[in-house]
Amino acid sequence: MQPAIEVRHVWKQFLIRHNRSDSLKERFLGLFHRRYREQCEPFWALRDISFTVERGEALGLIGPNGSGKSTVLRLIARTLYPTKGEIIVRGRVAPMIELGVGFHHELTGQENIYLNASLYGLTRREVDRLYPAIVEFSELDGFIDVPVKNYSTGMYARLGFSIAVHLDPDILLIDEVLSVGDERFQKKCLERMLEFRRSGKTIVFVSHNAAAIQRLCDQACLLSHGEIKGIGDITTVLELYRTPGVLV
Amino acid sequence: MVELFRMSSKAIEMQPSLFQYRELLKNLVIKDLKVKYRNSILGFLWSLLNPLMMIVVYSVALKYILRVQVENFPLFLVVGILPWNFFSGTAIASTEAIIGNANLIRKIAFPREILPIATVFFHCAQFLLALLIFFPALIFLGAPWTPAIATYPLVLLLQLVFTLGTAIFLSAITVSYRDVKYLTEVALMMLFWMTPVIYHLSMVPEPVRWLFELNPMTAYITAYQDMLYWGRWPSAQMLVLGCVWAGVALGVGSWVFRRRQRFFSEDL
Repeated sequence: MQPAIEVRHVWKQFLIRHNRSDSLKERFLGLFHRRYREQCEPFWALRDISFTVERGEALGLIGPNGSGKSTVLRLIARTLYPTKGEIIVRGRVAPMIELGVGFHHELTGQENIYLNASLYGLTRREVDRLYPAIVEFSELDGFIDVPVKNYSTGMYARLGFSIAVHLDPDILLIDEVLSVGDERFQKKCLERMLEFRRSGKTIVFVSHNAAAIQRLCDQACLLSHGEIKGIGDITTVLELYRTPGVLV
Repeated sequence: MVELFRMSSKAIEMQPSLFQYRELLKNLVIKDLKVKYRNSILGFLWSLLNPLMMIVVYSVALKYILRVQVENFPLFLVVGILPWNFFSGTAIASTEAIIGNANLIRKIAFPREILPIATVFFHCAQFLLALLIFFPALIFLGAPWTPAIATYPLVLLLQLVFTLGTAIFLSAITVSYRDVKYLTEVALMMLFWMTPVIYHLSMVPEPVRWLFELNPMTAYITAYQDMLYWGRWPSAQMLVLGCVWAGVALGVGSWVFRRRQRFFSEDL
């Protein structure tokens, strides 16, 4: 069977734009005055990253802030394009990078479920089928016809999480969103993730939390300054993470 | 079957197709309509106030002060102003279609074209509703009912395609140049006076009339006037021009959009 995710020699460059000119006026003035001119500084967020995630495997991405973990996740989620290299993703992706993205405050919970699911490419019929389960899991039964602007932060996140896990994904991308709602709901979420694991879904999990990675993943990848410092067995990689001098 | 995506620096295979996302398009349009009209039953009436005001003001200013020689002037205005408002409203709103949804673009992968397309359809829905409301007014003002009206959907379709192309283009370049919005407003004002909405094309002095005829909106507006004011078939010349402009706008618009869209999530 072909792997779910293949990342081949991926480089990602961002342009840090100093004195960014984002209007025609500034572009025009820049022709005459130096101080209106934009300076672009290239920044390589990822350098020659390669890894594969087999179907049903869970990969934990670990690394300090700014190491490129989120960039990897966004590349797999297809919201960024690689500057060099190639990424192949086989299956429907459910990104849980931020919850409640695309909710409209004036719309009710129910309307947001339909709108949000269609943002991920689901058809009306698919949402009709999933709807009861989404509501039940979110525990928002009595509030589903209330505009989400009146939701608490926890309710908002619960609805977002519930939609994400019900998208019937083949691949889940999780960026430390386990801190949703109260402790009981968090536990429910973690159980849901483990259930995903058991049912053979592919997971890419970004976290600073070694314990969470150990619990959920069977492979880990250590990133630092946009490069892979170590990949493979979790214990080995976590040990490497703690070794002084490796992250330089 | 498993969905497959292959992205590289050179090519993107299996981009999710627009057709697959028709549900999203529908939901976005419904969302806009709901948000606009939910909080006020009067919401829709407010959107009629603008064309109504324009018709009253122009009627008074041009008919009674400037004494423009156009028979049944209010009818002439209604026929041209509604489609003009559809175009200008869409053009201004489309500059916000991408930059106003930065969060969506950065976080979720869906065909980005959907956003400007939804803006166009939302305004088209509003235009059709307004047309429905103004329908009795057309009858009351004595619009001629001839078989030529059968070409109305065709002209509307051409204008829709032209508006789509314009909206896609504007939404994409506003990402790089944020002042395009203001330029659009200024350009629309000039275009309005260069479009025979409040005067006959024949009133334009001969030496510069070709310039007015080249204006894409002239093609559509004069076609509407032919059908609903003069009661005759739209001229073949204007229909051909309308077709060409619609094709050019859509072609250029989607070309620019395609080239720029992969950088949207970084530039926003």
